Amino acid sequence: MKAIRVIWLREVRAFRGTFSCGVPMVAFLVVYGWTFVMMLRNNEGSVLQIQSVWGLSVAPWLPILCAVLTMRLFAEERATGMIDLLMSAPIRERDLVLGKFFSAITAVIVTLGLSLLVPALLLPALSGPQLARPSTAAIAATAFILLLQASTWCAAGTMISVLFRNQAAAAVSSLVVCSALPIAVYAAILAWLPGVRTSVAWMPLLMHVHDFSTGLFTTSVIVLYVATALFFLFACSKLLALLRLRG
Amino acid sequence: MLDVAHISFAYSTRPILKDITFDVAPGEIVALTGPNGAGKTTLLKLLACLLMQDVGTVRLHGIDTLQRPIKYRRTIGYLSAHNPLYNDMTVEEYLTYRVRLKGERTMRVRRRVNEALSVGDLADVRDTRIGLLSHGYRKRVGLADALSTFPKLLLLDDLLAGLDRPQRAACGAALSAASLRAAVIATGHELDEMLNWCTRVMVLNHGRIVAMFRTSDFDRAELLERIDTLLTAPDDAQEVSA
Repeated sequence: MKAIRVIWLREVRAFRGTFSCGVPMVAFLVVYGWTFVMMLRNNEGSVLQIQSVWGLSVAPWLPILCAVLTMRLFAEERATGMIDLLMSAPIRERDLVLGKFFSAITAVIVTLGLSLLVPALLLPALSGPQLARPSTAAIAATAFILLLQASTWCAAGTMISVLFRNQAAAAVSSLVVCSALPIAVYAAILAWLPGVRTSVAWMPLLMHVHDFSTGLFTTSVIVLYVATALFFLFACSKLLALLRLRG
Repeated sequence: MLDVAHISFAYSTRPILKDITFDVAPGEIVALTGPNGAGKTTLLKLLACLLMQDVGTVRLHGIDTLQRPIKYRRTIGYLSAHNPLYNDMTVEEYLTYRVRLKGERTMRVRRRVNEALSVGDLADVRDTRIGLLSHGYRKRVGLADALSTFPKLLLLDDLLAGLDRPQRAACGAALSAASLRAAVIATGHELDEMLNWCTRVMVLNHGRIVAMFRTSDFDRAELLERIDTLLTAPDDAQEVSA
């Protein structure tokens, strides 16, 4: 536990000072802000609640943010050779992986917190009593599902960064796994199982966000994200152990 | 103390180390030398638990690297040949991070960091960012890190590379002091310098230990000549070219 905290602190500090954190966060907020405003305009007069608009405008960009945040976690250590010093310390691979993973999650939490500023600033500007303020619970539920999704993307990104010395290659691979792969799977399901099209109106990942933001909690969805994240983290620690075998 | 028995290692099908057996007692400083590609760094990586041997055992005070790797790693200090450091941290922050990572108790961290700064003679640059340090200082930071938690086995890869004569002498003095409570294995090509402080020389060639000398048993010039002969022997040259 102590080792996880030490690594987490180091990585959070590194995030603070690196180009690979501040710029992606700002870019994310700009793109998300634009999506948020566009979604508000397009859904004028609909029953879509404000927390759903927030969640649905954040979710599509989350895989990209997570891929960029996690790309340097191990790729940089491998490129500089620092991985040798880390692995010669008396810590388990698991602790190393968790420390780095939690640092990426911390950066995501900060970004999600900042993204709430957009609705917070826009809501008072939007006139009319018809726009009710969302409850804290609704916001928390939306944040929860976004965090679950981010955990999965970050876990995948952390694992993928072990495989590369080049950060850009790690980021692109993470994007393929986190973004392109789910879309491809969804497209394939729709192509091969046309009957599903009637029951799946949106991309499942976005549907999960919408469901949670409207209070529709599903245990299977939570289990799916947690299990996937744990699988990637487990695979990551095993890949690190494998480095000892093949050098 | 350190018992290495019949270890072999191969990168996929290319054998790097073949049937290496030796032991090192506390207080000994072993200079591990040999031509480039002889397997020095790989051997050190095996001893640092960064690689796993295909066969054989490595034990430090009876602790096996494969069976109890965490406990084993708690007792070693390792300096990599590339000496990677975090450039965004100051010397003090980096050493604090490393001491904490090695599991030192919180109340002892400050003391250990101050001792490491003192050993590496780094007090004047303790608040300087590592990225701004010269090669020599960076090496001293790496050495201070390796020595920070008083390891029982010190593994130093290419310690003297790129250092000027006074810094080499300072490193030698630091190692002699460290060897009072640790066994030291240092690799390098600067044998003339290493003979000033090492107690044993181990010559590695083509993944095998081809000779081992106690420095006290030989005249310095004779020892250098013998090692030189070993490394430039026609058979070896043929093997290298093959």
